[in-house]
Amino acid sequence: MKQITIGWLYPRLMSTYGDRGNIISLSKRCEWREIDVKVIELNVGFDKKQLEECDLLFMGGAQDREQKVVSEDLLIKKEILLKKIEKGVPGLFICGAYQFLGKYYKEADGTIINGLGIFDLYTESSNKEERLIGNIAVKTNEGTIIGFENHGGRTFLGEDAKPLGKVISGFGNNGKDGTEGLIYKNSIGTYLHGPILPKNPSIADFLIEKALEIKYKEKSVLKKLDDSLENKAKSVIAKRMSINL
Amino acid sequence: MNFFIVLFGKILSSLSKKLNLGSGSTWPGHIALKLNRHFIEELLSESKTKVILITGTNGKTTTSKLIETILTKAGKKVILNKSGANLLNGLASLLIENSNKGKIDADFLIFEADENVVPKIAEIISPDYVIALDLFRDQLDRYGEIDSISRNWKKAYEEFTKSKFILNADDPQIYFLSNGLKNKTLFFGLNEGEEQKQLEHASDSTICPKCGSDLKYSKIYYSHIGNWSCPKCGLKPEKIDLKTSPLYPLKGTYNQYNTLAAVLLAKDLGINDKDIEKSLKSFVPAFGRQEILKVNGKRVEILLAKNPSSFNESLRTIESQNGRNVLIVLNDRIPDGTDVSWIWDVDFKDLTNNMKLSIAGDRVYDLALRMKYADKEYEMFEDLEIAIKKNLEEINENQTLFILPTYSAMLDARKLLTGRKIL
Repeated sequence: MKQITIGWLYPRLMSTYGDRGNIISLSKRCEWREIDVKVIELNVGFDKKQLEECDLLFMGGAQDREQKVVSEDLLIKKEILLKKIEKGVPGLFICGAYQFLGKYYKEADGTIINGLGIFDLYTESSNKEERLIGNIAVKTNEGTIIGFENHGGRTFLGEDAKPLGKVISGFGNNGKDGTEGLIYKNSIGTYLHGPILPKNPSIADFLIEKALEIKYKEKSVLKKLDDSLENKAKSVIAKRMSINL
Repeated sequence: MNFFIVLFGKILSSLSKKLNLGSGSTWPGHIALKLNRHFIEELLSESKTKVILITGTNGKTTTSKLIETILTKAGKKVILNKSGANLLNGLASLLIENSNKGKIDADFLIFEADENVVPKIAEIISPDYVIALDLFRDQLDRYGEIDSISRNWKKAYEEFTKSKFILNADDPQIYFLSNGLKNKTLFFGLNEGEEQKQLEHASDSTICPKCGSDLKYSKIYYSHIGNWSCPKCGLKPEKIDLKTSPLYPLKGTYNQYNTLAAVLLAKDLGINDKDIEKSLKSFVPAFGRQEILKVNGKRVEILLAKNPSSFNESLRTIESQNGRNVLIVLNDRIPDGTDVSWIWDVDFKDLTNNMKLSIAGDRVYDLALRMKYADKEYEMFEDLEIAIKKNLEEINENQTLFILPTYSAMLDARKLLTGRKIL
């Protein structure tokens, strides 16, 4: 029986928008395929060794106050995280976590908050503090995905950075250039809540597949699951947004 | 001047009723405010009416109703205002309707305020009492994150210089609202019940409002509500003025807090314990808040469930009664919040398998997915009317159908249950 370990970064502080659903989705989709799965919760002050043993990483969004506490803790562990991502260990970084993996976040008053610099992007707070809120549909290599976005920051990708997809409806990275998220090696950064994985199982499976490939150093083909309910839930919202899947 | 505005408003209002333009119209208030921008402030200051402002994420409506019941039984005249789309016009209209000879004819005005209107209220009125119940994540797309709300509240509370505060000491953010302020403040908190050490996933405020360190809890009642202290800066509730009520008319820990808030206010107003207890006994729940309806001889209980903490608490309340038929209705209209991500923060997995779960609502497929991934069996209905009908058929007269709806779903379900349309 194959096994993967999922590292959930800062569940106690970085889980404001139902992001636990992503962990539930990953865990269940492994379980249904008889892949043994272990989730370790990496809260502030966690041991570096715990991060070393992870085959898949997840981090959600949070409020500013909590984000500050987290950033101090994660800065100390940056090297391990960077090594993992460079090696191709898959990760999913939502909203606040996505911004934090970039180079910096510029607040409305011009203050720069440094990020980890792993993703080639930066984020700016909008002058008017208008948040980008609503249902969003994005065209990606894994098909059209659907979620809900709610963010104040506008993210801009570096020249060579690859977006996760193209916005069909909604705002995406910045509401201007039509890009949403970023994909680097096997890691994904995105603004999509919803949470993203339950209604977009292709993304969940991409992460699981890559985790197995890196861990067992062999091509992995996942057993197909019955996703009719997942697809139906997605198509109901797509229809409302007048989008054909 | 206001004497004439009130008179004029009353004439308009009665005209509008006669012409069938709707009795709940807010345009007498709209016109009053056009004639005098300070109409509300002036009328309030010229009258003897005491204003009680009620704020919080969960429990506002129930607490208002509890206070209204106690005060009315004590012989006071009480008027109630809910913040809606037309906040000021609505309030002005209500005042016109209840004024006589240029003065408000009521002893108390209870003002229920949504999270985001508290700062606006601080600009126009100075309440005699401000009650703060709790602060949870709720409709993040609409109200924003709780840190930004509590920042705005903190500013608003600084404006309430003449108000007496009644605060929930067991919610760290609420406790901290009076920090650094000179207002007279009374605190309520619990000191009983089951001990629960593990924080629920839906806990919101687990770091110190003062220094940002992880809080320590000796008891957790639900979500982030409990007996807390900060190991680093030492912040913790210093005094609690009320810990028990002679009677709790509603089930659930969250309603114990609502009751404590109402009782603490009543005591401060000089109403004696016996009278408080008597009026609590006669309490009838508000719309959809553990409201019990009889439909064709069968019992239906509606428990509004609009965010993870209220949902978890409602589920626990049903479980404690060995409830079997449970219908969950999830909508994503404006009053519900358009983001349904929060259902993944509800602890469905821990539910006993004795419940027969049915699901319905605009986002029934999202609920279905949630159930699938929590390993729960469920029956799915695209049509709410059929869902209610089928569930009612399945229970006998000694059983209860529990409905857990979001806000607009609650209105839909009530309409179906009380209207002639159904069954």
